[in-house]
Amino acid sequence: MASAYEQWVELATKQMKGKTPDSIAWKSPEGISIKPMYHEDDIKGLPSVGSLPGMAPYTRGPMATMYAGRPWTIRQYAGFSTAKASNEFYRKNLAAGQKGLSVAFSLSTHRGYDSDNPRVAGDIGKAGVAIDSIEDMKILFDGIPLDQMSVSMTMNGAVIPILAMWIGAAEEQGVKQEQLNGTIQNDILKEYLTRNTYIYPPEPSMRIVSDIMAHASKNMPRYNTISISGYHIMEAGADSVLQCAFTLADGVEYVRAALKSGMDIDTFAPRLSFFYGVGMNFFMEIAMLRAARFLWHRLMQQFNPKHPQSSMLRTHVQTSGWSLTEQDPYNNIIRTTIEAMSAVLGGTQSLHTNSFDEAVCLPTEFSARIARNTQIIIQEESQICKVADPLGGSYYVEWLTHQIVEEAQKIIDEIEEIGGMAKAIESGMPKMRIEESAARRQARIDQGKDVIVGVNKYRLKDEKMDFDILEVPDSVRLEQIERINHIKKTRDEAKVQACLEALTKAAAGKENLLEVAIEAAKARATVGEISDAMEKVFGRFVATTQCVSGAYSSEYSEVNSESAQVIETLRKRTADFQAKHGRRPRILVTKMGQDGHDRGIKVVASSYADLGFDVDISPMFQTPEEAAKMAIENDVHVVGASSLAAGHKSLVPELIDHLKKGGAGEILVVAGGVIPPSDYQFLYDAGCKGIFGPGTPITQSATKVLDLIEAQVGK
Amino acid sequence: MHKDPSYYIQGVMDNNRLMLARTITLVESSLSSHQEIARHVINELLPYTGKAVRMGITGVPGAGKSTFIESFGTMLTVLGHRVAVLAIDPSSTRSGGSILGDKTRMEKLAVDDMAFIRPSPSGGSLGGVAKKTRETMLVCEAAGFDVIIVETVGVGQSETTVASMVDFFLVLQISGAGDELQGIKKGVLEVADAIVVNKADGDNVNRAKLAKRQYETALHLVTPSSPNWMPPVMTCSALENTGLKEIWDTINSHKGIMVATGELETKRQEQAMSWMWFLVNEGLERWFYQHPEIKKLLPGIKQSVEQGHIAPTRAAEDLVSILGKDLLI
Repeated sequence: MASAYEQWVELATKQMKGKTPDSIAWKSPEGISIKPMYHEDDIKGLPSVGSLPGMAPYTRGPMATMYAGRPWTIRQYAGFSTAKASNEFYRKNLAAGQKGLSVAFSLSTHRGYDSDNPRVAGDIGKAGVAIDSIEDMKILFDGIPLDQMSVSMTMNGAVIPILAMWIGAAEEQGVKQEQLNGTIQNDILKEYLTRNTYIYPPEPSMRIVSDIMAHASKNMPRYNTISISGYHIMEAGADSVLQCAFTLADGVEYVRAALKSGMDIDTFAPRLSFFYGVGMNFFMEIAMLRAARFLWHRLMQQFNPKHPQSSMLRTHVQTSGWSLTEQDPYNNIIRTTIEAMSAVLGGTQSLHTNSFDEAVCLPTEFSARIARNTQIIIQEESQICKVADPLGGSYYVEWLTHQIVEEAQKIIDEIEEIGGMAKAIESGMPKMRIEESAARRQARIDQGKDVIVGVNKYRLKDEKMDFDILEVPDSVRLEQIERINHIKKTRDEAKVQACLEALTKAAAGKENLLEVAIEAAKARATVGEISDAMEKVFGRFVATTQCVSGAYSSEYSEVNSESAQVIETLRKRTADFQAKHGRRPRILVTKMGQDGHDRGIKVVASSYADLGFDVDISPMFQTPEEAAKMAIENDVHVVGASSLAAGHKSLVPELIDHLKKGGAGEILVVAGGVIPPSDYQFLYDAGCKGIFGPGTPITQSATKVLDLIEAQVGK
Repeated sequence: MHKDPSYYIQGVMDNNRLMLARTITLVESSLSSHQEIARHVINELLPYTGKAVRMGITGVPGAGKSTFIESFGTMLTVLGHRVAVLAIDPSSTRSGGSILGDKTRMEKLAVDDMAFIRPSPSGGSLGGVAKKTRETMLVCEAAGFDVIIVETVGVGQSETTVASMVDFFLVLQISGAGDELQGIKKGVLEVADAIVVNKADGDNVNRAKLAKRQYETALHLVTPSSPNWMPPVMTCSALENTGLKEIWDTINSHKGIMVATGELETKRQEQAMSWMWFLVNEGLERWFYQHPEIKKLLPGIKQSVEQGHIAPTRAAEDLVSILGKDLLI
């Protein structure tokens, strides 16, 4: 007698007119082959199956009753412009039902520069709030009781001055350190991997992490000293297995650093928290979160923790900003809802839902409300919270959880073999994997294999922007500079200098940097001054940029004839160009300003090279003048400037000016990234020849760039 | 592209960045019309060349070449030198495109007014690399740069090609797990004027010292290319700026010896001579392949050889005799 499963196979084959169920298995981006149906046999004996919520290995969640007991914390990440403007925004949100704060800092602050530093003129207050001193910090939390409010701060590079100023501001509010509650991201390893908002080289940076952990374990028992982040790894293009593995490997590295500095595992491990990102692959993301908890528990056993909380993974989740589109942007509300659902069903402890206008500009009051309400509606209307881990025992989800556990473990083992994550990062392995994954994803989208509604399918004929855009005026910079000048005039200068000298000494010695910096912050030293005092000893880190090649076109080599044709046409055009003009079309891709998200330019660089361009890549954090110099010396045909952080209106025109001043006005400039359509005309008027918004297929932008170059050099 | 050679010559002599950049583009061009102008330009610039220290650097990917050049070059500009860096990056054989990322690791040098960095795609053929870089080097010398650094990845034969156009060839290595020597080609040891073990910093110092000893032993087994110079093995940390001054001193004492013994002059003469012969060979090859008769007959003859209908010697004879009966082998 055939088993029920065998009968099902027969039935399915019949219903699909002879096609077997195996033949329609789908290969996920992670390389996992997904069958069309799962049943009991698939999960028999799997180690991650069978536990209960709140109990080791925590696959089903860290709390016994999960959301039935208390729902996750709605924690929206926000910040822009000045401390005063952000403070008003926070207070409104708290009144409207938000439970915790999450501060976004200006890129200038992240990189340890004061607002009066000419290198950061285009960045002040654009992608987050600019903080120069403790005075700004006090304004930021004015009227917000820091003994009650849990505050999360996304800060990695300038962690020492920012945390010192926050602690100092709280003290001046009358709140003691032991009362402070919240999280600082403080995850420097991933900065070297993806986000690039570091200041110092890895070694002193790891010491800073340890110093913060040591200080908090003594003085701030309610404070999470690190938020080990996979979000940025995902946003840089990593698939779920890579995100899961790299984040956990980062975590293990921090644990080792803390142990090495002499701490006891159970004093700090319970305060480690994680930060994952979830994209549109619904069940995969759920399984990833479950797998991460299982694996973390397993990985922590090597350190022999006594406290159960030491091996319990608690995480914040953010929905993917990358999955959102500029085209037909209201679709983003639906995407974010689906992603929020996977975060919730995956068992997150807190959640940020993105605003639908994320791909166009910074959130407005309106878009922030919709984003917040997405979570409130799931919590309060859907009844989803009534049962802990409702997907526990689902054949598919449990099987998928196991697959991710297996695949991620392999990568973690590989990293251990290299000697841990710090060494692995040095070797370039994780970065290459992420970039390869990103290039493949871009190729799948450009071919329509991964559908994005409104972008590569069901595209609207006429796009109309019918919502308001938040724009940060350049006056923010002047306001900040004025306040810095005022503080510098009124503070006790001798005391400030003494504090800064003490900090430089601490950097060279062994004293806890945070403790010394708190005194400097209270004496009104600025973020820039505190950062510089340490830089004297540590130096500033310069990234090495690597770029994969071949990954983009390899996705195309799969039979898909029509799109492979597009690639071939472009390759022929670049070859013809060489025959006609004596060299290949040459493009410089650059990312000016302090924004370190370089996924976009990496994908462009890698793909354009695959199409036969010669592609120059500029160092990170360039000024327009430096980018122009490089374009001229390398004698490129075109400069592609990427902007994601609202600096385009000053950076792109300045670049064009500097090219003209250098006598190379014929070098074309195109721009890409998050640029609101309402700014397009402004940029065209400034001389920009092409603008490619999020979701532009590489083949399309490359075609246009080639057209432009050919028109310029004469056919 | 401008047609008048004096437009480029004047620009280079004025050390105008823009013009220097454009002249290099001209020199690198694969169009024969451009090459004709380039030949004029190079010829005119020739009297102003030859005074720079010409050094080549190679090393496996990951040896830290760019970081080394960043630190080394910055040290030189601080000493008052004008430094030109010519970096050769491999072109993809499939797409023909390339990724030129050298400057991302030369952040300081890239914005240093005393330095000029030009990454160039290898463009597929190795002869192509040599041709471009050699002449680009001359252009930079004419523009007043007194140190020229040619960087190449240690793949294929690019290192011997580069070694044949510089005065001092430096091989950059890193220490590994004790199997250093497997990663180095004998041919590279033969042309090296110094081996430098980079990344001698942090917990790597001892491994670097060990690697240094291993290379020293290996070098003893190779006949030095010069009777007057025994290539030293040194360590450095481009990250921590240690050992760089010593490398520069070594290059200078090498130069001193080479000048005093007359070897530098001989070497450059030989290089010029072999360069001429290379170009002659290349010209002959081009003549051969572009000959209409040969173009017509070649596919058929190739097929016959493949199928064993005629002997390779006979086929070669038939083909060459098309160019002239007296060319018979």
